[in-house]
Amino acid sequence: MGPLYRLRMLTKRHGHKAALSIAGLDIFEGCIYSLTGPNGSGKSTLLGILAFLSPPTSGTLHYDGKPVEWKGRSLVPLRQEVTLVHQSPYLFEGSVYSNLAFGLKVRGIPEETQRSRIGLSLETVGLSGFEERRARALSGGEAQRVALARALALAPRVLLLDEPLANVDGRSAEVIRLVISGLPGRGTTVVMTTHDPDPPSCLNGEVIRLEEGRVSAPPGAPETPVISMRG
Amino acid sequence: MDFFLESLKASWSLILSLDRELFRAVWTSVYVSVWSIVFAALLGIPAGLAVGLLEVPFKRTVITGLNSLMAVPTVLIGLLVYGFISRQGPLGGWGLLFSPSAVIVGDALLAAPIVANYTLSSIRGAHAAILPTAMTLGAGRLRSVLKLLSEIRFGMMAAVISGFGRVISEVGVAMMLGGNILGYTRTMTTAIALETSKGEFALGIALGIILMSVALLVNIVFQILQRR
Repeated sequence: MGPLYRLRMLTKRHGHKAALSIAGLDIFEGCIYSLTGPNGSGKSTLLGILAFLSPPTSGTLHYDGKPVEWKGRSLVPLRQEVTLVHQSPYLFEGSVYSNLAFGLKVRGIPEETQRSRIGLSLETVGLSGFEERRARALSGGEAQRVALARALALAPRVLLLDEPLANVDGRSAEVIRLVISGLPGRGTTVVMTTHDPDPPSCLNGEVIRLEEGRVSAPPGAPETPVISMRG
Repeated sequence: MDFFLESLKASWSLILSLDRELFRAVWTSVYVSVWSIVFAALLGIPAGLAVGLLEVPFKRTVITGLNSLMAVPTVLIGLLVYGFISRQGPLGGWGLLFSPSAVIVGDALLAAPIVANYTLSSIRGAHAAILPTAMTLGAGRLRSVLKLLSEIRFGMMAAVISGFGRVISEVGVAMMLGGNILGYTRTMTTAIALETSKGEFALGIALGIILMSVALLVNIVFQILQRR
């Protein structure tokens, strides 16, 4: 089976500055990947491209064997398979329930199924009974877990997480780590960014190191322009 | 001082006696203001959204232009619309001049830049993650923009209130395009101007009290909506 994402000669520029320059990178389905690297190394930029939110400046991206055409309508079905949770997630005005229901409504999922999925997702992140709470009144750790639950409710094929363990309390970090480690078992591919050069071993995933927008080859790998990682 | 007190007393008796002329002017004011703010919102909100969200050419110039339009004198708008809808004008055949519809057109053009600017400010002040969040949750472009609008609804309400405040209190457009016809196009503000010029302060003060009350009522309604 081929890779889920296939990136070739992919670049992203912000004005005159090259934010990303990847000769080749393959990401396979059902694995966990940790994107590590210092600030400004292009981790969040890469997540934005993998989430189909921001087009690359040049190069090609294949998803599920097909080249991605960066045109408005063709991106919607792709975005419905891939969900990004931002580092400081934005929770919409209203209740926790309405936040989780948004993506489900967009997909036309019946209300009864919405309710059960929302209940299950909140239970997964340890926030059962939070449905009627005002989303904006939650603590940082709770907000991060609600954002994770909002993504989990959609049962995405790929879950992209931008620094999910940063700025959260110990209890929330533990819950998030536990949830992430269980996702490949459900067939979900996880790509998460982290500052930590040695991501938690419990996640048992592949580490992709970015430096100044380039993927550095893992130790011992042959000098090849394409880095193919199977978790 | 006695003169003011006498006028104030007379104005209260006009209000309490539900004076026909007075309430006709109130009704006309509210009617043209509501319709003109509806049309101003239909013009101004999409314009503000377009400038705020799209990569329009000469964006800075467009924003400067929109800001400048907020300061256009009412009589200038009155003059421009008059040129179009007077008998010699290109739309003269429509017979709009000196009708409530003419005032609605002029007031809508007056309020549209205000609504557009407030909409633009709301978008600029909105959290940059609203659209990407809606999109990554699977919403298309239109649904994401609707979500953005829902998130900035208080700013949008402020836009509408400001526009409404502008049109209900203006005189120039109503006078030039409406003609201040008793029982037809006479609004609160044109009536105040007329009565004051005649030295009839009582009706002017009564209308002033009602004008302030309407403005207060509109703000209270919007505040209640915001709390919900």
